[in-house]
Amino acid sequence: MLQAVLDAARDAVIVVDARGAIEAWNASAETLHGYAGDELRGKPLQMLFAADDPAETLLADARAHGRSAARRWQVRRDGTRFATEVSIQFVPEQEGSPAHYVTVSRDQPDDPRFRLLVENARDYAIFMLDTTGHVASWNAGAERIKGYAASDILGQHFSKFYLDEEIRTGKCERELEIALAEGKFEEEGWRLRKDGTRFWANVVIAPLRDSRGTHIGFSKITRDLTERRAAELDRLSLVRAQEALRLRDEFLSVASHELRTPLVALQLQLESLDIQSGAFEPKLVAKIARARRNATRLADLITTLLDVSRIAEGRLTLSVRRVDLGELVRDVVDRLEESAAVAKNVVVVSGETRLFAICDPLRMGQVLSNLLSNAFKYAAGTPVEIHLERQGDIAVLLVEDRGPGIAENQLERIFDRFERAASMRNYPGMGLGLYVAREIVNAHGGSIRASNRGDGGTAIEIKLPIAKGLS
Amino acid sequence: MTSRVLIVDDDNEIRETIVEILTDEGYEAVGARDGYEALAQLRDPEDRWALVLLDLMMPNMDGRAFRAEQLLDPVIALIPVVIVSAMTDVATTAEELHVDAHMTKPVPLRDLIQLVRRYCAAPD
Repeated sequence: MLQAVLDAARDAVIVVDARGAIEAWNASAETLHGYAGDELRGKPLQMLFAADDPAETLLADARAHGRSAARRWQVRRDGTRFATEVSIQFVPEQEGSPAHYVTVSRDQPDDPRFRLLVENARDYAIFMLDTTGHVASWNAGAERIKGYAASDILGQHFSKFYLDEEIRTGKCERELEIALAEGKFEEEGWRLRKDGTRFWANVVIAPLRDSRGTHIGFSKITRDLTERRAAELDRLSLVRAQEALRLRDEFLSVASHELRTPLVALQLQLESLDIQSGAFEPKLVAKIARARRNATRLADLITTLLDVSRIAEGRLTLSVRRVDLGELVRDVVDRLEESAAVAKNVVVVSGETRLFAICDPLRMGQVLSNLLSNAFKYAAGTPVEIHLERQGDIAVLLVEDRGPGIAENQLERIFDRFERAASMRNYPGMGLGLYVAREIVNAHGGSIRASNRGDGGTAIEIKLPIAKGLS
Repeated sequence: MTSRVLIVDDDNEIRETIVEILTDEGYEAVGARDGYEALAQLRDPEDRWALVLLDLMMPNMDGRAFRAEQLLDPVIALIPVVIVSAMTDVATTAEELHVDAHMTKPVPLRDLIQLVRRYCAAPD
């Protein structure tokens, strides 16, 4: 009765004694392994497994845990291999009955779904090579990635996918050798499409064996990682650019601090000379004055660098109070009187004479001073107009010159760091004045923009919020 | 003799320049390169000090630490201190440290001399 039930089972059922010798089996076991009659009795279970696939590990596992299961290579009587799903149950000694194992093997036939899966995979080129590296199968992904139709490439050597210099150095053969010796070859590298363009590929080559274990060729799986690599390179170059910017800002900060200290000592000495200059002859007094002017220029440049580095590090601090912008304009114009005279500019101030806003007077003075210095530089010999007015809750400060103006496509960019509308050869300067001006105005919650006057020249307009109830 | 000024600054050139200029102006000026040297100078019982010109950023003992130590020592706590620093927030720091005044580097020399004159007896 029991035998009849076992024989009806589709799976091969084999009973093995404690030493691994076959005791009993069902009809499916005979069919699956190709044995008949009493051939199996007393034979080691290993006889039904591939030589490189020891059955003892499975038995030991079952002994330890009561049960074991695995995909294994098993062999038929004629020596051919086939894949099975094996599970083994350990039955311990009980009531005089000795311990034994029950093994159940199920054949894993080729599943046509897998073939469809491979043929239709589009993101992976999955194909086979024969033992000498000639293409033996082709899928949709291979056609898409490499650009060859199956009819173009079947039978061709796979070196077609490699760069010339790699073919010459024997890379293709080496890859097959490694795959065969180590069970797998994998790398990332450049490969060629049919049209000769390169793509960055991840390649895995593995040897294929038939049911007897004979080497029949290779499977090759290729992925196109060009886009991923490009994105990775983009990310790296962005990181490098950011690092370069950080280093530049750090250098700017250290350099400007280091430059300033000796300059402070130099300015003190020059001032001390200037104070005593009453006793000197006029020519010497003029030389001291010139030296002081240039030390001041140097100090201004360094101050700008320090400001830029503070802005870059987010350390621009304002000390705000109620300020009369009219008075601030007059102060700055007075202070720059000498520069205006040297550049032969006449500064004309119009509009409100008293207009209060909450701001940092030193910083806003610096903004206006930067704008006027630009006007003196680019529009020498022409009138420069400053106009102050109120528009609702906004104070508007307009600085206009009659210089060459700014190309339309530069109007936004001139406020960027190290940007300048004019060529470096004709006009000196670091291209930082407007950048610092914009950052200071922005920090006040205001805005700054440049435009070209209809009749030539540049207009820079600053808008600052007025604190209500203060004017 | 109360016209003695202590210039505390770690930069040799700046310190010696100020010492030299004040000496030229007839004051007795002495330099210290950090807070430790400054405290040692002020605590010398032979000396009587009119003013300390204090830099903030210095190695070993900075201006802040110096000021804290000074205020803990009743013998020297009352000597007037003026901060002379390149830091942007000198005003805030001056308030925090309860000093008499502050100046931002680069200091106009005339202002500096005027300040020293206010604190010191007229030079001999």
